[in-house]
Amino acid sequence: MENTIDQICTEALREIETAKSKDSLNAISVKYLGRKGIVTQFLRNISKLPSEERPKAGEKANEIKKILEKAFEETANRLYSQSPEAHDFVDVSLPGRSALPGSLHPITQITRQICDIFIRMGFDIAEGPEIESDYYNFEALNIPKYHPARDMQDTFYVSDNIVLRTHTSPVQVRVMEKCKPPVKVIAPGKVYRSDSDITHTPMFHQVEGLMVGENISFGNLKGILTNFVHLMFDEKTSLRFRPSFFPFTEPSAEVDMLCVMCRGNGCRICSQTGWIEVLGAGMVHPAVFENVGYDTTKITGFAFGIGIERITMLKYGIDDTRKFFENDFRFLRQF
Amino acid sequence: MKVSLSWLKDYVNIEMDVQDLASALTMAGLEVESVTNSFDYLENVVVGRIIEISPHPNAEKLKLCRVDAGKSPIQVVCGAPNIVENILAPLALPGTVFPDGSILQTCDIRGKISEGMLCSERELELGDDKSGVMILSGTPETGTKISSALSLSDFVLEIGLTPNRSDCLSVLGIAREIAAIQKLKIKYPVKQQPDRNKDIQEYTSVRIEAPEHCPRYAAALVTDITVSESPFWLRKRLISIGQRPINNIVDITNFVMMECGQPLHAFDFNLLAENRIVVRTAEKGETFVTLDQKERILDPEMLMICDGKKPVAIAGVMGGLNSEIANSTKRVLIESAYFNPLNIRKTSKKLGLSTEASYRFERGIDPLGTVNALVRAALLMTKIGNGKLTGGVIDENPLIHDLVPIELNISETGRLLGIEMDRENIKSCLESIEFDVENADADTLKVTPPSFRVDITRSVDLMEEAARLYGYNNIPTTMPFIHAETTQPLKTLVLRDKIKNILTGLSFMEAINYSFINESSCDQLRLLSNDTKRKLLHVLNPINEEQSVMRTSLIPGLLETMRRNLSQQVRNLKLFETGNIFLSRGQETLPEEVEMVAGLWTGDRYNSAWYAKETGCDFYDIKGIVEGLISDLNINNSCFTKMPSELCRYTKQGHTAQVTIEGRPIGLVGELHPEVLRNFDLKQRAFIFELNCNTLLDLTNKAKKSKLLPKFPFTTRDITVIISKDIEAMSILEKLNSFGEKLIENTQLFDIFEGDPVPPGKKSVSVRIIYRSPEKTLEDNEVNGIHIDITNRLLGAFNASLPA
Repeated sequence: MENTIDQICTEALREIETAKSKDSLNAISVKYLGRKGIVTQFLRNISKLPSEERPKAGEKANEIKKILEKAFEETANRLYSQSPEAHDFVDVSLPGRSALPGSLHPITQITRQICDIFIRMGFDIAEGPEIESDYYNFEALNIPKYHPARDMQDTFYVSDNIVLRTHTSPVQVRVMEKCKPPVKVIAPGKVYRSDSDITHTPMFHQVEGLMVGENISFGNLKGILTNFVHLMFDEKTSLRFRPSFFPFTEPSAEVDMLCVMCRGNGCRICSQTGWIEVLGAGMVHPAVFENVGYDTTKITGFAFGIGIERITMLKYGIDDTRKFFENDFRFLRQF
Repeated sequence: MKVSLSWLKDYVNIEMDVQDLASALTMAGLEVESVTNSFDYLENVVVGRIIEISPHPNAEKLKLCRVDAGKSPIQVVCGAPNIVENILAPLALPGTVFPDGSILQTCDIRGKISEGMLCSERELELGDDKSGVMILSGTPETGTKISSALSLSDFVLEIGLTPNRSDCLSVLGIAREIAAIQKLKIKYPVKQQPDRNKDIQEYTSVRIEAPEHCPRYAAALVTDITVSESPFWLRKRLISIGQRPINNIVDITNFVMMECGQPLHAFDFNLLAENRIVVRTAEKGETFVTLDQKERILDPEMLMICDGKKPVAIAGVMGGLNSEIANSTKRVLIESAYFNPLNIRKTSKKLGLSTEASYRFERGIDPLGTVNALVRAALLMTKIGNGKLTGGVIDENPLIHDLVPIELNISETGRLLGIEMDRENIKSCLESIEFDVENADADTLKVTPPSFRVDITRSVDLMEEAARLYGYNNIPTTMPFIHAETTQPLKTLVLRDKIKNILTGLSFMEAINYSFINESSCDQLRLLSNDTKRKLLHVLNPINEEQSVMRTSLIPGLLETMRRNLSQQVRNLKLFETGNIFLSRGQETLPEEVEMVAGLWTGDRYNSAWYAKETGCDFYDIKGIVEGLISDLNINNSCFTKMPSELCRYTKQGHTAQVTIEGRPIGLVGELHPEVLRNFDLKQRAFIFELNCNTLLDLTNKAKKSKLLPKFPFTTRDITVIISKDIEAMSILEKLNSFGEKLIENTQLFDIFEGDPVPPGKKSVSVRIIYRSPEKTLEDNEVNGIHIDITNRLLGAFNASLPA
């Protein structure tokens, strides 16, 4: 019995060794280890042996099965390594089949970044119509008809009482009309002014911000905006608050940030001043609160407006704001 | 507002360097936009030495000078009587721009070339002497700039004033701010009290018929005047801030306006009928010729200054030609009035005429400053114009202006600013700008702002002043404490972000076009006259024709973008845009704003590459994008049907599908109409889609629900039928699904074929049906039975046959 199995083994190993191809090796594998193969048959027949011989024969047969399996594997590997298939290769330098995604407009990308920062600070997002009544765009914001402050923005008119909104500030009023304080909201969107040159386009984008509640202070406005600029640019970008005037805020401030190009040394981008004007802000004027029915003895708040094009130009080093709306594919693809 | 440093120094001591002054003013809220040297115009004027003088061959009064200008000597033709050899004089070289605006060039003077000009004091605006060239003393080197040889230095600050700071529309106003910054006192020009003698009443009178528009009108009379050129110091002051000197009388009124912010007007008293002034509103349709010789049509809201018979000035805006100061003028009536800002602004707007005077009146001048300015001007006229001041002034003041104190709560100030400011701190800030501050109670100050601060009306204005002078940057930066409660994110925004992410994932590039388009776009898109896209909202004052109406479709913008890119040789484009369109409800009402998403694909399916031949994109490419978008939005019942021809004006009939979801049309997808391509000057085919986001929003609110995965294997059977070419292939699948066979899990269309051996007018459609049971592994014979039954029903439904 032992002899027989040893002979089978020897014969099988010889056949394996001389196999010339994967196919002939497979045939040999079937011949010995297949469902009806010689070794398999042998294993099956063990049950017919006298009980005292069975353990030994079983052990032996399994050992031989393992030897053969190993030999098959080694030979298969050897045959594969000798085959042409093993020497085939791809040109890894060729570009892959195109699966390039498109890209978001740089304005969209920066708007999202800005909104994300404020959302993380707890602001909600609101939107309002792009075409506004004179009331929301001006009067409710403490800019009566014939007020000289109307000259601060070149307005596109649709009729005497309808304008293309000149800023996102009307959303402040619309939000406060609907919600009771506390309010913390930002409002991104398109705005329009009748102005067209290298630094002005008749349409551009702003993000309005508004936080109203008890004890909201000018110091808080500084805190929120400083945090924003640090996240948008970096911690080294310091801010400067300058007194200014907006009819709907008091005190009002223009906010300059340290020039991102020259770090305050003076360069072309900042007109040698070392500072770049990035946004306007201030404490909400009590007249605006009165217009929306808020109690000015109890609450205070701040508002700000950020020019998205300006931030985008600084972030990406873009020099001409008109490029944003020419949509040159070669430009868009860079972002 | 321009102001020169030397002028400021007349009223306040300035020890700071000019750049430091500029930044200090900026930080106090008066933004200095530029600092320029007022002697910049002398850039090309150098010290010259006359080496040799010889007669001009063709002109008796002219001489030829060889002048050493530092380099090789040049020839200058000169007619000045005082030139002698070896004197040093200012030599203007070609390119010099004189204060009067003329530009010096090398020129031929009577047959001789002159390469420069020897100048007098007057020509360079360095003095009054125009009798001959200015002879320079000392020993400056030839060729050095005249400004350094004479140590000329003065700076002009251009200040961008915010509309609230009308008090700073004067040199004194700015000097006041500088004094406050430096904690110094300002030196006002000597205030001279007018004569108590009431002589003036004997010569003239002022009657105010419209006190609401003219609360105050003061006048003085100067006689025996000599109108002439102003002296050098006065011309210099005006030139330094960009004003053109005219004559001594007009220059004095301008000087005083610039000095203290009160606009003045000088009338030739002899030209005033009945020698009196009447202030009234204009008659309807009345006309009037202003100083600039233009005829103005007036309306009854406009305030006019009149004499006994006729208007002589548009109040606060511009004087009339009929009472202008001329060289012959002997008697001058000076007007110093306070007009209602709103009235002046309306008049200025209606006439389209803005002047230095109207600019100040409409922003609000000092209501108590009229007489001071009047007397200052009158006295200057006596000095400079040799005039005699008639005793006293007229001061018609029917609406007396009272200074109103404002209560300022100290702890409220601290709360608003976020810093504890003590009483003394606030007090010293406000007092430094001439506010009168008294203690009211423990926590309150009673503050009376000076009359020139017309912008200060409530306590918050005072808080701003305190903060401004304390320094915004000295207020600590803190974080707010506020409720953390939040709301649902804006659904429109969520959808928009999702759409943008999906489309960029599908390799589309986002574009942003202007919201305005050309009105002719409607014709270019072949829109019918009753198309809703013709409900255009017009911009009354567009920048140009191309941006004159609000868009009613995103397509024109995308087509313009395509054209611009083609012109840059970029011919493969996949673009999309989201944004509002505006459907007019009439110019007097807010339009309907509808958010849309549109896409455009033109050029090749793939950019040319080693693995793909250049193949133009087609309808199915763009349709695939729309299908991908819709399914990614979790909408799975979209329907694409043939677009009726009357609805696809800008797309090609037979190549356009209407997209509907649950029976609601949401947009279209199709090939652009060839005529539209021509109209937009586009030389290649393009495919577009356009979907309504507002409608999509209603359809995307379905919650996602997980389904159990199947336990048993599927089995497939294919079927190919020959049907009429006109039958839409997808109707086969719809039919199959309509049979309601429970074991059919899915159907896929995998081949469409036309041509031999399929008979003409027919096509073969091949469908794979996937059968699966949720309960067991299906047996072949069971599936075969169902499949044969289905095949027969299908053949019957479409009058189809099986392939031969």
